[in-house]
Amino acid sequence: MSIASIDSTAEQKKVILSVEDVTLEYLTQAHLVTAIVHTSFKLFAGDRLVLLGPSGCGKSSLLKAVAGHLKPTAGRILLNGKQIRSAGPDRAMVFQEFDQLLPWKTVLGNVVFALTASGNMKRKEAELAATHYLHKVGLNGFLHAYPHTLSGGMKQRVAIARCLAMRPEIILMDEPFAALDALTRQKMQDELLELWRDIGFTMLFVTHSISEALLLGNRILLVSPHPGQIRAEVTVDPNTFGSEGDTRFREISERIHNTLFRDIADYSI
Amino acid sequence: MDVEELLIESDLIREFQIDNHDPATAIEAARPLPLWRRIWEISAVRKLFLLAVMALIWQLYAIKLGNTLVLPSFTVTVQAFLDALKSGELISRSAVTLKVLSMGYIGGVTAAAVLSVFAIGSRLGADLLDTLTSMFNVLPAIALLPLALLWFGLGTPSILFVLIYAVLWPMALNTLAGFSSISPTLRLVGRNYGLRGLRYVFLILIPAAFPSIVTGLKVSWAFAWRTLIAAELVFGVSSGSGGLGWFIYERKNQLETADVFAGLFTVILIGILFENIVFRPLERNTVFRWGMRS
Repeated sequence: MSIASIDSTAEQKKVILSVEDVTLEYLTQAHLVTAIVHTSFKLFAGDRLVLLGPSGCGKSSLLKAVAGHLKPTAGRILLNGKQIRSAGPDRAMVFQEFDQLLPWKTVLGNVVFALTASGNMKRKEAELAATHYLHKVGLNGFLHAYPHTLSGGMKQRVAIARCLAMRPEIILMDEPFAALDALTRQKMQDELLELWRDIGFTMLFVTHSISEALLLGNRILLVSPHPGQIRAEVTVDPNTFGSEGDTRFREISERIHNTLFRDIADYSI
Repeated sequence: MDVEELLIESDLIREFQIDNHDPATAIEAARPLPLWRRIWEISAVRKLFLLAVMALIWQLYAIKLGNTLVLPSFTVTVQAFLDALKSGELISRSAVTLKVLSMGYIGGVTAAAVLSVFAIGSRLGADLLDTLTSMFNVLPAIALLPLALLWFGLGTPSILFVLIYAVLWPMALNTLAGFSSISPTLRLVGRNYGLRGLRYVFLILIPAAFPSIVTGLKVSWAFAWRTLIAAELVFGVSSGSGGLGWFIYERKNQLETADVFAGLFTVILIGILFENIVFRPLERNTVFRWGMRS
């Protein structure tokens, strides 16, 4: 694959999201766990920023905080200059789990409901928009199917179409392809890039797969665990490499792997 | 890549010739079953067969016993049932019972809904409901009838009290279990749409918990039905018109055993009818269609 047409929009460098010195903690039965400490980064319009790190490094917590499901114990998160206080439709999220679709609504119904429930859209208008985006993810033949009749890949497509249709400021993706089989995953990654070229959204993507990060991101933040901190930022130059088999690709993968796992050899995978 | 080309490039891949169009070698993908097998595949047919066998055993044993007072035969019972149906007595008695039942059922379900919504709102509310259900779920409603008679006197209010009690706890227990088993992802999705308060409850939580809610409706209906018949057996008459339970009790006193059987038969019949007319379609159009239960 190629990322030749990268970043015509990101050139303008409009800051959409600004994470400022954020610390995140959450409560379990016995512990107060620190997921992320003193972390800052910015997300520009049209960015495909990837948070990459091993399981349990706090990257998902960071995404939840941006979504508004988790309040920072220190620092603040600004969306277009305004502090995030609760969840809202301006930050649409795609989850890893297949049960993120409402089982009692059809494919079309799921997308329409997202648009009407989150506020401003009339039903007719919502149906038009929903059909448009479902068409874009290749599901026009399944508008009236119920989610339980779809395959995993198709469910994730519906979730992506739902997010796109909401026209959010940022699309948040929490390992959306992790539960898919390898072939489907690869196809979905290509399609996501295709959609990005077509529509040009801003995306914050969480993954633990180095190759997925290199394929999908234009910037990658490496998050190391215990507690979660940003270790490095990788800017993916579109002309750096051609495909996954490429030597340069493998070199970078290895560098990233070493950076991430340097200090945690004890927990090695 | 072209397969031909691949074959030339490497001899690791060998393609097999398969001809499904040649009628001589093609294997039929599906063959029709014989007629009797197809009929036997219908579950209603199998069940009717079993019922017929049981009726036959009943009939033979009753004839052998030859004591109508203890065990009237199947045909005599059917005759008694048809007579009672024709005279209109069974229908009017059933109507009395069903009227009380529907009042108690609706009252109980409403009370359970209010309690459950209150319980989702706060952790203390959930703890309260949890404690109450685990206490009262094991206390049979009928055991409260003496107390109810003391409080509300001889009449429909006493029965209603017992009925609401019978419906409330299984309904609340199932609803609460349904709410607490909703996947966290689905909750986050609802929050993501910016849904709050009652809209969140009605648009996300209730449909997501619907399988358990339907189970609650079914279980509590069965509880109500059984409790009501039992209550009527103990005390079933108010202002001269008793229900189905009272009918059974009366006929036992008159030693009309066939009528007692007819009454019991009606209790079963109404239960099955309700299951098939109300709950089956409800399930088919909701939880089964949504793939939330299979």
